[in-house]
Amino acid sequence: MRQTIFRYATPLLGLGCAIMLALILWNRELPGAISALLQSVHMQSFNLLFIGILLEAFPFILLGVLFSALLQVFVSDETIRKFTPRNKVAGILFGGLLGVVFPLCECGMIPVIRRLIRKGMPAYIGITYLLAGPIINPIVFSSTYLAFRASPEMVYGRMALALAVAMTIGLLFAKFAKNSPLRAASALHDHSDHHAPVSRVGRIKNKWSSTLAHASDELFDMGKYLIFGALLTAVIQTSLDRESIASVADQPLIGYMFMMAFAFLLSICSTSDAFIAVSFNGLFPPGALLAFLVFGPMVDLKNTLMMLSTFKLKVVLLLIALAFALTLGGSMLAEVLI
Amino acid sequence: MIHHFIRAALLAGFAFMIVYLFNSGQAVLYIAPRMELLVKLSALGLYAAAVYQIFAALRSKSKAGSSDHGTDCDCGHHHSKSPFKGTVMYGLFLLPLLTILLVPTSTLGSAMAEKKGISFTGSESVNRDAGAAERSNSDGAPDVIEQELDALFPYDEYTVDHAKLGKKLYGEELIIVPEKQFIETLTTLDLYRDALAGKEVEISGFVYREEEMGEDRIAVSRFAMNCCSADALPYGLVITWPKAEQYNEDEWIKVKGELTVIEYDGNSIISLQASKIERIAAPSTPYVYPDFEFGT
Repeated sequence: MRQTIFRYATPLLGLGCAIMLALILWNRELPGAISALLQSVHMQSFNLLFIGILLEAFPFILLGVLFSALLQVFVSDETIRKFTPRNKVAGILFGGLLGVVFPLCECGMIPVIRRLIRKGMPAYIGITYLLAGPIINPIVFSSTYLAFRASPEMVYGRMALALAVAMTIGLLFAKFAKNSPLRAASALHDHSDHHAPVSRVGRIKNKWSSTLAHASDELFDMGKYLIFGALLTAVIQTSLDRESIASVADQPLIGYMFMMAFAFLLSICSTSDAFIAVSFNGLFPPGALLAFLVFGPMVDLKNTLMMLSTFKLKVVLLLIALAFALTLGGSMLAEVLI
Repeated sequence: MIHHFIRAALLAGFAFMIVYLFNSGQAVLYIAPRMELLVKLSALGLYAAAVYQIFAALRSKSKAGSSDHGTDCDCGHHHSKSPFKGTVMYGLFLLPLLTILLVPTSTLGSAMAEKKGISFTGSESVNRDAGAAERSNSDGAPDVIEQELDALFPYDEYTVDHAKLGKKLYGEELIIVPEKQFIETLTTLDLYRDALAGKEVEISGFVYREEEMGEDRIAVSRFAMNCCSADALPYGLVITWPKAEQYNEDEWIKVKGELTVIEYDGNSIISLQASKIERIAAPSTPYVYPDFEFGT
C-alpha cells in the first residue's frame, strides 16, 4: 500500500514543485485564462476568506487535537467513567454545562468528543456537549454581550435556548438511541496496554511520543474536513448576495428558516457570529436573530463535514433535523416572550 | 514512511506560511490583531508536529516499516487505504498553500462590500429610538451648559458612552473619524445627527459605489473585522461631491465635509456635503476593529 501511495503522491508533488519553479523562473506569468482567473476580484476575495477562516481555526483545532490526545494517553477510561454522572438527566445537564469549564469552539470539540465517547462517556452526554459547548461558554457569552449591548435579553435568550435545545436532543438520544453514534472502527484502543513498560522513564517517554502520534494523526483526520469546509464556506460567502437575502426578511416563518440556513452556510466561529447577527438587527425580528445565534454554532457547513468524520451519516442528519426543528420552535416562542 | 515525510512537508509548509504572512505584513489582511498571538502559537504547534513527523519517519525506517502507529492500528483514525484518496487528501492540504502563493494579495473591497451589504448608519447594536424615551438625568447636571448638552445628547443605559463621545465631538472644530473608533464614531454621528449636523467631519476609506448613488455620490468605507476576514462587515459614510464620478471603486480617499442628513434609497441617512477630497495611499492596516475598551 505504501508503494502505491509512493507511486501517485511523489509525481504529484514533483509536478507541484515543477509548476512552482516554472512560475518563479517566468516571474509568475501564467497562461492567459488561468492568470485571469487568479487575478479576478472574486478569486482574491475567495482567497482572503479561505485563508482567513483557516488561520482562525488553526489554533483551536490544534488545541482540540492536543487535548484529545492527552485525554487518550493520560486519562484512563475508569477516570472518565467515574466523573460522568450515572443519572441520565444529571449527565445531560453535565454535558450541557461542560463548556463553561472547557470552552472549546466547534472546530476543536469534535476530536475531544470522539475521544470521550470512545473512552466510555455515554454518547448522549457527548452529543449534548457537542451542541451546547460552542454557545454556553464564557467567551461566547462576553462576545454576544458586547455585540448586543442594547438588548441583553438576546444574550440570555441565546444561552437559555441553546441549553434547552441541546438538552432536549441529549434526552432524546439517551432514550431512543441504542447503537453507538460513532462511525465504525470504534473498538476501544488503549495505548497504555500494549506499550510494554520497560522502565519508568521509558514509559513516560513513550506516553509523550504516543500523544504526539495521536495528535498529528488526528490533525490530518480533522484537517481535511476543516479545509474542505473552509473552501465551501469561502465560495458561498463570495457568491452569496446579501441583498437577495433581505427580500425574504418580512415573511415570518421564512425569515426564521432563512437566518438558520444563512448561519449554516456562513460557518462563522461562535465567538464572532454575534457581530454578524447584530448587523441584521432591525431587518429581521429578534427571534430570527436568536435562531441564527443558536443554530449556527450547533450545526454549520464546516462542522457538519467534521462531524461526518466521526459520527454516522444517519446520526448527523438526525442531529441537524432535530436542532433545526427545536431551534425554530424555541426561537419563535422566545420572540413572543421577549 | 513516505506518509510521514509528506505530512512533515505539509505541516512545515503551513507553519512557514503563517510565518511568511506575518513577516510580510499580510497577516492583517486575514485575521484581527487580537487573534495574532494565537495564530503565531499555532505556527509553533504545526512546526513541532512537522518535526515529530520527520522523527516518526526516521524511526519507522529504522524499524523497517513497522511503526508503532501504522495501518494495523485500530484506534479509529482512518488510515487511507486507497492511493487515490491519499492523493486527494494531500492535495486538499496543498490547496491553501497554493492559493497564497498564486493569488495576488488584495484587501476586502467594493466587490465584497456589495455582497455583504454595507451599513451607512454605523453599528446596529444600539437602539436608535431609545435615546429620548428614558433619559436618566438623576446625577443632576450642575450647571446650565451641562444641562443643555444633556438635552442635545439624550441617552439610555446602552447609549451612554455614545452620548459621552457625542458631547466630546460637539466641542471639536473638526470631527475626525479615527481608525480606532471608526464604527463607534459613525454610530455616534448617526445617533446624534440633529445635534451634530453642520459640523465639519473628516473621514478616510475606500470608494464604494451603488447604482442608486448616481453621479455625485460615493461612499467612503471601511471593513470592520472581529476575528477573521469571514466575519468582516463594511461600514460607510455617503458623501456628495459634484465630481464624485471621477473616483474609481476601491481607490482610497480622504474627505472633509459638512455633516448633513439626506434621503437615500428610502431611508434618511447621515452624509457629508464634501468640501475637499484627496486621494491617499492605502493604509497598511486596511480594516478597522471594534474598540472593546469603548466606554469602559
